[in-house]
Amino acid sequence: MNAIEIKNLTKNYGEKQALSGLNMTVPVGSIYGFIGENGSGKSTTEKIICGLIHKTSGDVKIYGKPHTDIDTRASVGVLIEEPGCYKNYSVWNNLMLQATNLRLKNKADEVRKVLQLVRMEGAAGNKFKNCSLGMKQRIGIAMALLGNPKLLVLDEPINGLDADGMRIMREVLKDVTKNGCTVLVSSHILGELEKVATHYGIIRHGKMICEMTAEELENSCPTFVALQTKDMKKTKEVLKDKFKRVEEDEQKEYLRVYDAENPEQVVKYLYDNKIIVNEIRTDKIGLEEYYINLMNDKEAK
Amino acid sequence: MEMKFEKNTFRKRLSSMLAVDFKRAFTMPLFYIMMAISLVIPILILVMVTMMDGSVSVNPQTGVETVMEGFDSVWQIIGTSTADASAAGTAGGMSITSMCNINMMYFAIAVFVAMFVSEDFRSGYAKNLFTVREKKNDYVISKIAISFVVGALMLIMFFIGSMIGGKVAGLPFDLGSVTAGNVVMSILSKIFLVSIFVSIFVLASVIAKQKLWLSILLSLGIGMLFFTMVPIITPLNATIVNALLCLIGGGMFSAGIGVGAYFVLKKTNIV
Repeated sequence: MNAIEIKNLTKNYGEKQALSGLNMTVPVGSIYGFIGENGSGKSTTEKIICGLIHKTSGDVKIYGKPHTDIDTRASVGVLIEEPGCYKNYSVWNNLMLQATNLRLKNKADEVRKVLQLVRMEGAAGNKFKNCSLGMKQRIGIAMALLGNPKLLVLDEPINGLDADGMRIMREVLKDVTKNGCTVLVSSHILGELEKVATHYGIIRHGKMICEMTAEELENSCPTFVALQTKDMKKTKEVLKDKFKRVEEDEQKEYLRVYDAENPEQVVKYLYDNKIIVNEIRTDKIGLEEYYINLMNDKEAK
Repeated sequence: MEMKFEKNTFRKRLSSMLAVDFKRAFTMPLFYIMMAISLVIPILILVMVTMMDGSVSVNPQTGVETVMEGFDSVWQIIGTSTADASAAGTAGGMSITSMCNINMMYFAIAVFVAMFVSEDFRSGYAKNLFTVREKKNDYVISKIAISFVVGALMLIMFFIGSMIGGKVAGLPFDLGSVTAGNVVMSILSKIFLVSIFVSIFVLASVIAKQKLWLSILLSLGIGMLFFTMVPIITPLNATIVNALLCLIGGGMFSAGIGVGAYFVLKKTNIV
């Protein structure tokens, strides 16, 4: 069974089609990285899953039941756009209110637990409106975590978080999945997403263009030998005589040789051609680059 | 792998929603402001109108003299008996006593309900509420119930303020042709009528969602249509029939309007 299963989902806003036949499968216990450009339909999909907006057509299931099922939806934690908190209430009171909303038994204990998880115990007495953007995001995450939800839907949760906040976020996501929770997380910070996601879905113009596991991504991301020399232009020309795929990276700081067996082969070949290598290493393209390449390919088509 | 989910019954949802709204309503500064206003306004009205009683103002352009008429008794700020009202009607006058009375509170209740409901949407808390509650009936029932309690408390505070104001202004507490029972029935009728108004205000607020100005505008606009019936069905010489009429009518009306509010929430997007 899948935590989320979406088939042919469409959503129209008047003339504009936000989702056009989206298919999506989020396995139970996964951290599903939901990726796409601005306006590609990520937030719309998440809002439909949480019942905050109505779909035009299609089928959305949460744990095998329609997403409108009262019992299933009661165990969904959500952070979509900004955290939903009363700005004049303290952090503690906001969380206590949410604990009441979820009918938790030991409200104070549960609130303390989630505040500890996001390292916000010290700010419990602060008014929500006086919290920084990063603190607000953490409170939003704490709110979503209350009541041990079986499905967490997080829209751009890393926005505004500092390095420490991002690390905490990673730990929290890994922790909750250990307890059987499934996480659907959308983010533009792909480097961070790559560190936690077990599955990916890439959406474009309201359609899923690619779904894969982290392993599949790993396998489809080619390894290369990255190197730096004094004369990069000459090096590139020399390398092209032997290797089929030699490219400069985006910053034009390194040359990438994709079809070399190992760095030694490249160093030896360049040495024979009287070129001294300053720096060399084996590397792999990441999610960000994979995503950009995929988008460029789609654009070209 | 079969996932088990706890049964989220209507009773559970309603009790948690009522608990959330109860906590919110009674911790909002607005609640205490409204209570203070409800208490102070009748004192101010009674004292100031009594002070100006009998004073004559002359329009410098037309030379027409206007004599300021004050309250004859404290109970006038609560309501007028049907006999007095028809006498005022035949006289064709619209005195300050018929305008400045407890019925004004229905408009203050509109402001409270609009802010109470729209804050859910403006703060984004509605996302938390509606993610875990697909059915919206518990939300509507809770909002109407809590707003009714607050509205009733505002009327009671106004009544207390009237008693204090009457004492301060030195107005007579003489009941005249009505009995204490009639006054109690009149107040009860007005309290029961609150249910009609709050259901209208909740409907207006869920239509407007985060647009507070629209919520207040709609509430006052629609409320105005029903406002004229208040003095007619809740006169000072009200009997148990008036109270029952208001209770049954109010209950049925608020249920009907509540269904409307439920459908608005069900059919429209929350965010």
